Amino acid sequence: MSRKSISLYLIIASISFLSGCWSQKELNELAIISATSIDKNEEGQYVKTIQLINPSNVAGGLQGGGGGQSPAVTVYSVTGDSVLEAHFNASSKISRKLYHAHANLIVFSEEVAQEDGIEDVLDAFERDPEIRPTARVVIAHNTKAGDLLKSLTAVDKIPAEKVNGTLEFTEQYRGTNLEVTLQDVIKTLTSEGKEPVISGFSIKGDIEQGKKMDNILKSEQDTTLETDGLAIFKEGKLIDWYQEDMAKGVIWILDKIKQTDVELDRDGKKNAIVYNVIRQKTEVSADTKHDMPTITINVRAEGDIREVRTSINLKDPKVILELEKELEEKIKKLLEDTVMRTQQNKTDIFGFGEEVHRSNPEKWKKLKSDWNDNYFSNLNVEVKVEAFVRRSGLRTNSYFSEMKDK
Amino acid sequence: MFSFLKWKKKKKNSDNQQEKSPIQSTDKLSNNIETSLTLNLEVIKQRTGNSTDFVIRPVNLGQHPKVKTTIVYIKGLVDNQTVNDFLIEAMITNPTLQEQITQQEVVDMIVKDVVAVGGIKKLSDWDELFTELMSGNTIIFIEGISVALSVSTQGGERRSIQESTTNVSIRGSKEAFTESIGTNIAMVRRIINTPDLWIESMKIGKMTKTDVSIMYINGIARNEIIEEVRKRLKKIDIDGVLESGFIEQLIEDQTNTTFPTIHHTDRPDGVAGNLLEGRIAIFVNGTPFVLIVPALFIDFFQSPEDYYERFDISSAIRLLRTIIFFISLIGPAVYIAATTFQQEMIPTKLAIIIANQRESVPFPAFIEALIMEITFEILREAGIRMPKAIGSTISIVGALVIGQAAIQAGIVSPVMVIVVSMTAIASFATPSYAVAISARLVRFIFMFSAATFGFYGMILVFIILVVHLSSLRSFGVPYMTPLAPFIREEAEDTIVRRPLWGYKKRPKMISGRNKVKQGENQKPNPPQPRTMTNSANEKGD
Repeated sequence: MSRKSISLYLIIASISFLSGCWSQKELNELAIISATSIDKNEEGQYVKTIQLINPSNVAGGLQGGGGGQSPAVTVYSVTGDSVLEAHFNASSKISRKLYHAHANLIVFSEEVAQEDGIEDVLDAFERDPEIRPTARVVIAHNTKAGDLLKSLTAVDKIPAEKVNGTLEFTEQYRGTNLEVTLQDVIKTLTSEGKEPVISGFSIKGDIEQGKKMDNILKSEQDTTLETDGLAIFKEGKLIDWYQEDMAKGVIWILDKIKQTDVELDRDGKKNAIVYNVIRQKTEVSADTKHDMPTITINVRAEGDIREVRTSINLKDPKVILELEKELEEKIKKLLEDTVMRTQQNKTDIFGFGEEVHRSNPEKWKKLKSDWNDNYFSNLNVEVKVEAFVRRSGLRTNSYFSEMKDK
Repeated sequence: MFSFLKWKKKKKNSDNQQEKSPIQSTDKLSNNIETSLTLNLEVIKQRTGNSTDFVIRPVNLGQHPKVKTTIVYIKGLVDNQTVNDFLIEAMITNPTLQEQITQQEVVDMIVKDVVAVGGIKKLSDWDELFTELMSGNTIIFIEGISVALSVSTQGGERRSIQESTTNVSIRGSKEAFTESIGTNIAMVRRIINTPDLWIESMKIGKMTKTDVSIMYINGIARNEIIEEVRKRLKKIDIDGVLESGFIEQLIEDQTNTTFPTIHHTDRPDGVAGNLLEGRIAIFVNGTPFVLIVPALFIDFFQSPEDYYERFDISSAIRLLRTIIFFISLIGPAVYIAATTFQQEMIPTKLAIIIANQRESVPFPAFIEALIMEITFEILREAGIRMPKAIGSTISIVGALVIGQAAIQAGIVSPVMVIVVSMTAIASFATPSYAVAISARLVRFIFMFSAATFGFYGMILVFIILVVHLSSLRSFGVPYMTPLAPFIREEAEDTIVRRPLWGYKKRPKMISGRNKVKQGENQKPNPPQPRTMTNSANEKGD
């Protein structure tokens, strides 16, 4: 090796040291954010609330020590005229570099969503390279968004994780909520013929009590975070909240139901038979032959009978067929009610417009300017439901039948 | 930079020449053996400085007149039983020598009638005589004749054949090479019984005159490579060869690399397998490690045992070894890059755990990793060099001080200890120590790059590493063969292994004329179970 090449190597090597530590940051010098929220105060300024993870109070193990003694998260609230300004103002309160990459939850207050519309604040989140587009978005219902982050939770020590976990499981088992990510919201906001829906979350109990460590030391928490309805948007602004069955109907039409329950009345007994949907497929199609398009919703549901409170002969195929008919009616009614209310709200959260666009792009051009207010609300929506009872759990006939025979 | 080294080398050469001249001056008369017995013994005493391990034993033969002879050998190098029973006793008691004989007849008589030892040779040259003497043969001088006899009596205490301690195998031959080149060559001959197994011998080292043999299968090995090996061995001009490592360093293609381009093994089955692929083995006396050339990068991840186990199992193990190599190469670097640059790559819960553990650690992750790696290297080195009797101290000190106290004191984080331990275990699991040791060095380069540029820097170093490996050659064969240049049939015998019946050809780049390894249709083709039972029934009836 010649003298020249050696010196070349040395120069290259020293360059790497000169630039050293560029953007380097140790993990323990970061303030790991688990959730952020945006509120508005009386002066019209944005209030950004940041939920920081206290690593030593979360992790177990030898060094954890303090875990359980002090809260797993610390919350700071900062104000600013813009979201970014609020973000920078946070540095006056926090000793570490704010790190967004692990934040999985973004909460917007009802106020911001109703008055300004979420599109006013979303850009700051989408533009930031650190914020994940897969972070979940929720709307704080009947409470300030910041307060939602301040309440401590048991089991999942980090409240953001508790919120995300709750959303995931209510979507899977109850079908009344929806996990919506940042990119989903932006996608539906920008797409023609579809409006966003976002899950709501609220605090049950006293907010001040929820901030205290005492709250999670009890077997029954005084203050808990709960899913609370589905926020319906129109042109980026929150206009309505759907609860329970209404919310279920929305999620059903969006084909996001994974598992849910349908109750039937029988022999004068309310909710005597409970049907558990375990598989379903919902297809929306548009017929654009006439001036006013017709939307057809095809539902095919499969499930089990999981609860019987009356004597019914489940061994009889005729009875099963009867039940299936009743189920179809019940589901049909649920979906029709949902569509009707949404048509009154004049916001196409189901994406019927997209369907029209897909089947007849030419016609859509004429309809799209006045879609929500005129056409959507007057659409003919036909709901077709096929329901199948596949199994009946570990039993066929309930002991009710045996008691009756005696 | 290296100019002063060259100057030193020149000086060394001139020193050697100066040393040589006085020896030649003592040999002033001639290089031939004298007729006078006393004169000959005088020369020996003078040349060897009267060394005390030389045994000079006069034996008189015949009756009238007695023929004076002298036996000379070196204590410890000869087999005592051979010298006593078959040489000295035979000469004293042999009836033919009791008669009256002339000095001239004695030589032939000793060769033909007396000495009951296989190898016997007439010598007339002092240089040759000393070579024979030093290699453990016995010399017989006869008064009045200018010829000496060399009787093959090599022997003495040697380590017996034992199980390999460096290349342990579960299945397969347990024997390993010893320090004796003759034994080693014989061990390979016992495996490959073809006359085409050719051996060439030479002596290398001005002072040590070490026996070096190259072994190859004529027809399978490539002639150009054999010629290249011969050429490189002949070029060696060094005072001593103490281990095959000396030869390795003097004949390797590229010296500016941490990666070995010559393979070594101490297992005869390993050598035999390589010979069958057309490679050349270089045996060096005094070491159980036999060199094998040419060596490819992928060879260092294979063990002879891979071919003894069935292909699916071997393939799984080879995949594991590849993963192991990467862990030992980039383990700590990944940790550094992930915790100081790309924290978003760590799952949130793990990030919290690491952040918690690092909370009290006063150093950046890189320094922490460096401390732990260096500590571990110290422990490992101490473990090797320490006398075995106090070896257990190391594990106690290592486990207690590093494992417990350092973590409790908060100097290093437990995750770091896990990473370093994983890396250490991975580097022990690499089949070849030569590659494991170079991975150890390259690991530090990766750590530096990860500490400056994160994963981006690691990718850069990785690219440089691949380019470097691809530029290497071993005796003309590209080092990364069969991956680069890509040879499809052979690439299937790299990180996975084909079934044994799938190997039809020998490696293209290595083997010579004879390329066919096995016949067609070697796949086992047993009769279908149904036909087997049917025929058995028919016979029974």
